[in-house]
Amino acid sequence: MDPAIVVTQLGKRFRRRGGNRPSTLKEAILRGMRGMRDETFWGLRDVSFSIEPGRTVGIVGPNGAGKSTLLRLVGGVGRPDTGWVQTRGRIGALLDLGAGQHPELTGRESIFISGVISGMLRSEVEQRFDEIVDFAELDDFIDSPLRTYSTGMQMRLAFAVAVHIDPQILLVDEVLAVGDIAFQRKCLDRIAQFKTQGCTILLVSHDPGQMRGLCDEVIWLRHGEVVAHGPTDLVMDDYVSAMDTVTRQRTPEHVPIVVLANGQELRIRDNRFGSQEVEISQVRLLNQYNRPVTTLRSGVPLTVELTYRTTQTIVDPLVSVSMTKPDGALCLDINNVSTGVVFPPLTGEGIIQLTFERLDLASGEYFVDVGVYAQEWAYTYDYHWHVYPLIIEGVAQSKGMLVPPFNWHVERGSEPE
Amino acid sequence: MPTIRLVYVRDLLRELVLRDLKLRYKRSVIGILWSLVNPLVQILIFTFLFSRVLPLNIPNYTVFVFSGVLAWTWFQTSLSMASGAIVDNRELVRRPGFPVAVLPVVTVTTSMIHFTLALPVLAFFLIFGGGHIGLATLFLPLIMLVQFLLTLGLAYLIAAAHVIFRDTQHLITLGLMLMFYLTPVFYRADNVPEEYRLIYALNPMAHLLTAYRAILVQGVWPATGTMALLFVMALILLGIGYAVFQHVSLSFVEEL
Repeated sequence: MDPAIVVTQLGKRFRRRGGNRPSTLKEAILRGMRGMRDETFWGLRDVSFSIEPGRTVGIVGPNGAGKSTLLRLVGGVGRPDTGWVQTRGRIGALLDLGAGQHPELTGRESIFISGVISGMLRSEVEQRFDEIVDFAELDDFIDSPLRTYSTGMQMRLAFAVAVHIDPQILLVDEVLAVGDIAFQRKCLDRIAQFKTQGCTILLVSHDPGQMRGLCDEVIWLRHGEVVAHGPTDLVMDDYVSAMDTVTRQRTPEHVPIVVLANGQELRIRDNRFGSQEVEISQVRLLNQYNRPVTTLRSGVPLTVELTYRTTQTIVDPLVSVSMTKPDGALCLDINNVSTGVVFPPLTGEGIIQLTFERLDLASGEYFVDVGVYAQEWAYTYDYHWHVYPLIIEGVAQSKGMLVPPFNWHVERGSEPE
Repeated sequence: MPTIRLVYVRDLLRELVLRDLKLRYKRSVIGILWSLVNPLVQILIFTFLFSRVLPLNIPNYTVFVFSGVLAWTWFQTSLSMASGAIVDNRELVRRPGFPVAVLPVVTVTTSMIHFTLALPVLAFFLIFGGGHIGLATLFLPLIMLVQFLLTLGLAYLIAAAHVIFRDTQHLITLGLMLMFYLTPVFYRADNVPEEYRLIYALNPMAHLLTAYRAILVQGVWPATGTMALLFVMALILLGIGYAVFQHVSLSFVEEL
């Protein structure tokens, strides 16, 4: 079968930001035609690959590697400077989801506009209207203007329209990190459904877990060039270890040893990692009365509080908290972005708290590990490994990890005669 | 496939025009009637000024100036909005598969709908203010078509130019103001001294207004030769405008 997407020696040049190109007629005339030239760099360089129909292909790479540019060029937006793109079939795109929407329009009006903008005929939107409203879970609000919607509701509406277009090629750009968990799940299911229908999917994501879960193969871009293209596990292993290398390179030579309140020593490259551009200066485990604890009963609330310090403005920080048993078994791993939370830029000194309404871990010893990472998991700012122990006490001793609230119930049959 | 594409562009045009209209008049009490207020006030002023203060002695002046103001308003709003057609729709231009060339059409069509909405009021004046409704009125759609094509050709050029040079908008505002006074909207081209007539001969809007007035005020057929020439020129201009627009449109994404 012919490939669904063929990209041949694709190259795209960009002007450097702050370049000296005139943006008004006056400037252009004053400078003459010399002013029209300016500094450029290659956003994409000599990128070639082909994708068989029905494959799901992920694109990974650090910020500015050219992922979104590649996705748009495949979608026919913009003109490549070298090479070309060939695609076969109707293209759907989960990018710029809110296009055409306006706070004054009602949900119903928005569905028609977004639907037609996404490439559907009006009659097709009409046919699928109920399905779309159903998917967005907005039946009661469909005739209210969008300005009365929460951000989550607006995203749901936009996404619902976008996934009802029946594409043969689907382009997805980092939209899966929005909305609440349940809706994210639904979107992933929908993408999986496209996949079983034989749709070719090209997707950009920063979540290595998502990549491994969805993709058949992965293309790794760096500085606009393809570093690797192959089976997901192979490429992702290399990619993740390369990210670790970046962190190692950015880790300062000398960071003083810190003795923590619990007596543990924090040593760089031993149990502490990262560039230290953001420093986690204190971590406290607090019970429901805001008192620091090291021992907790199973099923009661816990707050993990980290104090950070930075001299820069850190945009889109990623904060993760995980709990492991001494044998290395991972019990819990939470970060803000995968739970749909975007933090404001971090500056100066401040605190970040993660509160569990109840921690239903089985009794035993645990370590709470915390980390702050650069946007899109590019590298680590500061990560503390296995220095904050937490002992969970409980009635029920077991080999399992969880002890949610439970009840036994026994129903007896009639006794034998 | 081409028919489906055509149906799609029609649907897209319809939705985008409706969106523009809805957004402009949402949450306003008299809604779309506002589109009538502006030309009506202008007509009121002109009628007062040029039949009472500085009488121009044009018969049926209200109808005369009404037809002029309506056609001019369509032309002017189309072109002044055309500069934003691409720049203000960044997210649409960046969507895979979106036919960018539809955006200037949306602009010109939206203004045309305002023009059309005012036609009943014009009809009222025609009946009670001494105009003509008859066989010649059937030419109205034809004249509108020529104006549509002409305006669209210019709109393509302006929309493309504004993406590259952001002061196009100011130039257009200035140019339109100048052109307003050099187009016989509230006076008659006959009153212009002989040596300046060339300016009017080269101004397509002057010829269009003459045509509108022929059918509405005098109730006669428009000059066939002039109309045919205007139609051909509008087509040529549209061809050039569209070609330039399509050529430049490949780099829109980077310029936005």
